[in-house]
Amino acid sequence: MKTLKKTIWMLPLLVLALPAWADLKVATSLSDLASVAQFVGGKHVTAISLCKGYEDPHFVPAKPSLMKAIQDADVFVSVGLELDGGWLPLVIPGSRNPKIQPGAKGFIDASEGVEVLDKPIGTVSRAEGDIHPLGNPHYYSDPLNLVVVADHLARVFSDLDPDNASDYAANAKEFDAKMKKSVEDWTAQLKPFQGASLVIFHENFKYFTNRFGLKIFGTVEPKPGIPPSPRYLAETSEAMKQAGVKVVIYQPYYDADASQQLAKLAGGVALEIPNEVGGVPEAKDVFSKFDYIVSSLVKALSQK
Amino acid sequence: MSRYLRLFFIGLLLAPPTLGLAQTRSIISNLANPAIGMSALFLAQAAPNLSLPGSTGPSFQEAEISVISTVDPLWTLAGNFTFDAGSGVAEEAYATTDAVPDITFKVGEFRAFFGKHGTLHTHAFPFIQAPLIMSNTLGEEGFKNAGLEAAWMTPLPWYAELTLGAYRPVANDGVVQMGGNDGAGNHPLNFNSGSMDNIPYLAHLKNLFDVDDDTTLELGASDLTGYGDDGLHHAVYGGDLTIRNVPLRRSNQAGWILQGEYLKKVSYTTGIYNQESDGWYASFQNRWGQEWWSGFRFDEAFNLASDISINPTDSSLSGHVQRASVNVAWLPSEFSEMKLEYGIAKDATGAVDNRVMLQFNYIIGFHPPHSY
Repeated sequence: MKTLKKTIWMLPLLVLALPAWADLKVATSLSDLASVAQFVGGKHVTAISLCKGYEDPHFVPAKPSLMKAIQDADVFVSVGLELDGGWLPLVIPGSRNPKIQPGAKGFIDASEGVEVLDKPIGTVSRAEGDIHPLGNPHYYSDPLNLVVVADHLARVFSDLDPDNASDYAANAKEFDAKMKKSVEDWTAQLKPFQGASLVIFHENFKYFTNRFGLKIFGTVEPKPGIPPSPRYLAETSEAMKQAGVKVVIYQPYYDADASQQLAKLAGGVALEIPNEVGGVPEAKDVFSKFDYIVSSLVKALSQK
Repeated sequence: MSRYLRLFFIGLLLAPPTLGLAQTRSIISNLANPAIGMSALFLAQAAPNLSLPGSTGPSFQEAEISVISTVDPLWTLAGNFTFDAGSGVAEEAYATTDAVPDITFKVGEFRAFFGKHGTLHTHAFPFIQAPLIMSNTLGEEGFKNAGLEAAWMTPLPWYAELTLGAYRPVANDGVVQMGGNDGAGNHPLNFNSGSMDNIPYLAHLKNLFDVDDDTTLELGASDLTGYGDDGLHHAVYGGDLTIRNVPLRRSNQAGWILQGEYLKKVSYTTGIYNQESDGWYASFQNRWGQEWWSGFRFDEAFNLASDISINPTDSSLSGHVQRASVNVAWLPSEFSEMKLEYGIAKDATGAVDNRVMLQFNYIIGFHPPHSY
């Protein structure tokens, strides 16, 4: 009896000792989306990304531990446009979480409302490599597309958690203002280099170059998902020399050797820069990611 | 089968879907039509020891057409139809639902979730030939049958999934098809009792641990049991271990898989226990770049019955058999593969099955991602 009484009195202490869970548990298929979700959600949201910033978002291993990680999620934010189509169709059903299955209120396609580039016209075929039939899914490399995502998430979070709707709206407004101010700063830094051409590893940087007035001269891979041959690298380097293109950029998850070899053949420089939050340690959130990208490009493009 | 297990399965069939309907609007790109894909396997083989006609030369191994679509807010339906040079079969047709939290229900005709190799489609085999022991236990392509499965993701802190299944009674068809190139399925298990309480059942526990960001350890145990028409219980027991490394920074360029599995087929009743056949394999596969894989496997089977008929005496490779296989595969893209494999198998009498095989593997259309 004494033990029982002691136990009953201790129960409130146990409850107080439990961690304070956020109101919404949000999981995403891309680290940039987790960063935006955390900004918009603030203290009411705990956001995680199944894809780390240094992982290729096309080829995330569909480990069962990812299914376990989202077993209790309230919201799942997919990057959409089938960028995560190589692994998410296993992970989402495998989570056995009815709240986040496609079609449920908790499943979000973050690409909704984004103006999508490179929508295929005419016949779509894998003769062109591993193409994205719904258009270029790397829209998050344009910082102003993340404003669209932030507004979308604020509406979703408010719908699922109406008690905190005013906080979500205020956070999204603050994010929008901060991002638009930051874009002005980044535009100013890159203004001297408007019209400059870059070679990129994969067609995942077009939204960025469009936003900041840069051009894409070509890609290290001859077609999406097809590794470059020595002949292709030689031909591309010759074309780069003739055009005066000196900068090759690639992400941490791509073949550094091919990019560095191409840059060396062309007499230029190969630059590893992130396209996703967490791709390099300095890219802790979407703002510091773009800070890093812009400062790296300014430094590279400034070199003669 | 115990009374409680019977009651569980009856309850499962009668229970209405009570929890929040998961509106399964599809993430698969299709409107009026299902998502459709096709895989095709072609084989060129030199097998000088086999006395089977056509064992050396090219062959069409099989093609598989897959379809999948959302039925309604509760269900998704998938089907796989395979064709070889002589016939076509509905290999799998099943519906799944995730409407109940933590559980996936599956009903239809499908491969039972037993072990590791037994869950694979032929075009996903890591080695061209299935392990020796498969044909004497589950069948070269696993235990395919009509049934119902429920896979529960337990609340344990690591990924621990318990699958329970119940299937239609099925006879041992008496055919062991290993020597030919068709890789056709077969039923080596006697689950053919006409007794009303013969519901062959499966229990499978899969545990997966993240050793670090790049490496996982998987441990599994499986039991498939039913009543035979000889008055005995017939069962296959299995254990599997997989260590897999996929470096996150180079997930489509590097990595390795170390895997082993043991299967045992038994029959028993009170006072009687027969260990009919058992065997194991251990394999190591390594990815050398975006386009290159290589692998080595050793497998061994005891009391093996086979139709691998060896020149010049037409004796079958059987009994205690050991085999070593080595291969290298080139994948110019995710959708095609050329695999060159050498395998040498030997039994206790000294009979040898020596083969060089070149397999061509293609995928078009929609194909769901393969399991990790």
